[in-house]
Amino acid sequence: MANLKEIKTRIESVKNTKQITNAMKMVAAAKLRKAQNNIINARPYADHLAEMLKTLKNKNVSTEHPLLEEASDKEKTAFIVVTSDRGLCGSFNTHIIKKAMTALKENPKADMICIGRKGYDFFRKHSKNVVHHYIDLFNEMDFSVSTDVADNILNLFLDENYGKIDVIYNEFKSAIQQNVVIKQLLPIIPSEAEDISKVDYIYEPDEETIISELGNKYVHVDIWRIMLESSAAEQGARMTAMDSATENAADLIDSLVLHYNRARQSAITTEIIEIASGAEAIEK
Amino acid sequence: MSKIHVTIIQPTKIKVDQEYEHIIIPGVDGDFGVSPEHTPFITKIRSGVLQLFTGSKTEKYAIHDGFVTVENNTVKIVCDTIEKENEINAKRAKSSKERAEKRLKSSESDINFRRAELSLKRALIRLSLGSS
Repeated sequence: MANLKEIKTRIESVKNTKQITNAMKMVAAAKLRKAQNNIINARPYADHLAEMLKTLKNKNVSTEHPLLEEASDKEKTAFIVVTSDRGLCGSFNTHIIKKAMTALKENPKADMICIGRKGYDFFRKHSKNVVHHYIDLFNEMDFSVSTDVADNILNLFLDENYGKIDVIYNEFKSAIQQNVVIKQLLPIIPSEAEDISKVDYIYEPDEETIISELGNKYVHVDIWRIMLESSAAEQGARMTAMDSATENAADLIDSLVLHYNRARQSAITTEIIEIASGAEAIEK
Repeated sequence: MSKIHVTIIQPTKIKVDQEYEHIIIPGVDGDFGVSPEHTPFITKIRSGVLQLFTGSKTEKYAIHDGFVTVENNTVKIVCDTIEKENEINAKRAKSSKERAEKRLKSSESDINFRRAELSLKRALIRLSLGSS
């Protein structure tokens, strides 16, 4: 009989877990929708800035702006690793960290900038050179937050003479697919020009000032976009992970119920046999 | 009469997407007006008041830091923060003005000083629009 009770408690606890994972799935789905909207809303701004930068670059403005210039003599590099703050999102963080470790193998001296607690915890434990870290940013996603991050990174880039800063993050493909990408953040590579307007603009105050200001803004937007993508990807990953967890819990409950019924049946059978043999004994 | 199509783009949304007859933009080198058939033009925006005119109506916005592209009767403004006259929270602007002034007096580092200066500027523009 003890066995029966044990199975019953087990079933209850799995049911509770299933309820939790199911709720988490729903929450992730709602957050995912919001994050997707954010990405769509950020697009016109980013596109327009990219277009302006392209037109300016195409004019061959003779700027030696440090944000745009490839400096081959500077070897110092840094990686920005964007992970999530919370766990329970499948292989989301593992993939990022794996990719970052491979990148670090080629470039052992590189500095790290961590956005998201999971990455920070990992690299701190493995005593990598983490120069900056930002945690708990994804709860309140706001453009001003990402601007602060971007400003810090820009200052770091300019003050510390980095040759290159790369970002490693999860790109949002669809709700069930995330891609780990490494992208060069600084110096800025304007996306390939398709149809640049040949309009001859008048620039005020002058091209140089505009291009340097525009460079800063471009990095702000890039960081914003990357954070949005990563948070959407995180929610997507969590949704899929929680979905399969819920499914697994359902399977487990099914097999436990089967066990329970079998145990109950055999308990009843034993009881009947006992009664029957007892009755037989009286009859004789 | 031809009109100018004005698009104001913020990082999180498109604020304005409409036609106007005339607009006045606070550029870094001074306010300038844009009427139809304006020459192609790119400039930076300083904190100030953006005015959009249609007929007898005027819309005023407090705008802070951005870029404007004028081309072919379309004006594209990209900026981080912009508020319409009636969206301005005068109380908040006032308190942030006081905060910025206090910080300007007691600031240690350059960065904080610049930040305080900028936020003071913003607050002043908001107040000038919000109270009118």
